[in-house]
Amino acid sequence: MEILFIITTLFAAALINLITKRKIIIEVTSVIASLVSLILSLTIALKVSSAGLYAPWSGQFFSIDSLGAIVILVLGFVGFTTTTYSVQYLRQEIHKNIIGFKRMKQYFILLSIFFAAMFLAATSSNPIFAWISIEATTLSTAFLISFYDKPSAIEGAWKYLIINSIGLLLGFFGTLLFFTSINLPSVGLVDWHLLTANAIHLDPLLAKIAFVFVLIGYGTKVGLAPMHTWKPDAYSKAPAPIGALLSSALLPIAFVIILRYKAITDIVVGPLFSQRLLVTFGLLSIAIAALIMFNAKNYKRLLAYSSIENAGVIALGFGFGGVGIFAAVLHLIYHSCVKVVLFLSSGNLLLKYNSAKIFNVKGALKVIPITSVLFIIGFLIVTGIPPFGIFMTKLYILSAGMKDHLFVSLLALFFLTLVFVSFLKHITTMFFGEKTEGVEKGENSVWLLIPQISMVIIIIILSFYLPSFLHTLINNVVLQY
Amino acid sequence: MNLLTLQFLSEIILMSVIFLLIMKKNLSAVSFYGLQSLVVVIILLNSFFETKDLLMLLVIFIMFIVKVIIAPLFFIRLIKKYALSFSVSTYLSTPITLIIITVLIFIAHSNKLIPLTSIVPDHQVLLSLVLSTMFLSLFLIVNRKGALSQIIGILSFENSIVVFAVFANLEQSASLQLGIIFDIFIWIMIASIFVSMLYKHFGTLNVSSMKKLKD
Repeated sequence: MEILFIITTLFAAALINLITKRKIIIEVTSVIASLVSLILSLTIALKVSSAGLYAPWSGQFFSIDSLGAIVILVLGFVGFTTTTYSVQYLRQEIHKNIIGFKRMKQYFILLSIFFAAMFLAATSSNPIFAWISIEATTLSTAFLISFYDKPSAIEGAWKYLIINSIGLLLGFFGTLLFFTSINLPSVGLVDWHLLTANAIHLDPLLAKIAFVFVLIGYGTKVGLAPMHTWKPDAYSKAPAPIGALLSSALLPIAFVIILRYKAITDIVVGPLFSQRLLVTFGLLSIAIAALIMFNAKNYKRLLAYSSIENAGVIALGFGFGGVGIFAAVLHLIYHSCVKVVLFLSSGNLLLKYNSAKIFNVKGALKVIPITSVLFIIGFLIVTGIPPFGIFMTKLYILSAGMKDHLFVSLLALFFLTLVFVSFLKHITTMFFGEKTEGVEKGENSVWLLIPQISMVIIIIILSFYLPSFLHTLINNVVLQY
Repeated sequence: MNLLTLQFLSEIILMSVIFLLIMKKNLSAVSFYGLQSLVVVIILLNSFFETKDLLMLLVIFIMFIVKVIIAPLFFIRLIKKYALSFSVSTYLSTPITLIIITVLIFIAHSNKLIPLTSIVPDHQVLLSLVLSTMFLSLFLIVNRKGALSQIIGILSFENSIVVFAVFANLEQSASLQLGIIFDIFIWIMIASIFVSMLYKHFGTLNVSSMKKLKD
């Protein structure tokens, strides 16, 4: 019931925002809708941790397993923080005459639809409906990426639309191939459970081909290399909160769908095939991101490459298996939280410096000290500096690979070190030294800091203490995948 | 419909993509996409006569409206509005394009892809033809510099997946197909709006002229 309430609330919010002509109503409605989503996501996660599965109406429409529960919980938190940030962020942009009321209205309508599509994709019991929902995320975000209506933004959005559409069609083809194990006319709607139960009837060679298509298709949405090319363009041109959502919410959801097909493929051909593919794509993603990050000229693109790198780390974790899976799930959670901190702080930098070029941002620590400290903390977390949780997850993932994939683990370690060095180089340029002339000192608003501060607190708590329900959920994922 | 008729229809779909690959006029490209979609609708109609599912008939009708009428009309409006009589050039020359077409069709019919084409052994020829269409549609997307051609390429790819699903007995329930059609309809509208936005900002639909985003 809760999941239906989430979806209804989000669509209702989109509808109210469409009808109303008052700014305050749009803002309040959007925040309330995201808060409701957060509370109900938490309720669902607690239910799944105690019951193992959340499947209202006999799982006919929705089915949420432990991995799904983790992802919607992340979506709930990320959604609420980015929505509250968006309210003040767009107010600042309206104040600066960057956008008008119409754009702001359009933003919150599309944001609610985007949230609803993500919830549907993560919770749908039907693989085809999950695909439709993922496609809906592409459609709802295309105009959010072209939000500023500049040539570069249109270019970024066009690439996003075309590359993701091709990717998703390949994913759709792969999905259809998985259905060959079932006599479709006799069963009607096919859910994940039925697909898994019938996996033994799948031709092994066909299962391999299908998984390759699914991995390439949904991997495009995740941003795994070499299908990542849309990501830096889209992330850098979208408003900062949308960049945060693409990286923190959409990435894990697309990953979950890949993992569901991985579980089916593993039943047919054993885990080695999918693991090898994940390791290959994972390492390639880390390597490409690391090599490009060193010469990045735009801090939002830098964050986009960091997302590609972290998608690679998660893929490696699932590819290595064992303790790597536990670490990969934790990494997914930490990464989502820290990317909110980094992207939203990058929004503050953009508001202050009016430029996303690293070269144009100097002495930020003196200009906007709290934002700068938050960004630096975000950098320390995302690059895996102890005592933050990502240090442990990267360590566990690499140690999981040491036995069977020694060379891959060492290469990954090298590229992860390169990522740290690259990031540090840019951080030094942006935050230390003398400030850029003509830039006024002082934070824009306290409401542009609270979401990041709350996320940092969550990361620190989760780095030292995992609530028992979350521990149970992660353990269930390890057993399942 | 017997196998021979279905094979003939599949060949029309394949030929339509080949024409799309070598066409220079945008209007012809839209016409061939319309024809291709019409053939897809006919194939689905045949499938309806086997199942007699009335909801499926509604899906086919909506598909006809969206793909055969609305989409081509949208594109023709764009062509007239921006005077886009001729498509912008391709990345590869026509002789090389023809060679690649031959190679892709050969690959689709090769033994290596038997797992895909023998999902329904009786339909092996049909599935090979549809697989060729899929490959050629993908090639169309990457070989064309025009935004409109890329859109048509993606829609042609989607058409070929629909036909593959029919021939491989992987047709989804009518309700899910409605969802897919709705998605496609929204996609067509959004892509058309983007074409207008591209033209407004770049003065051309040549995607190779988009060089605003560089590291």
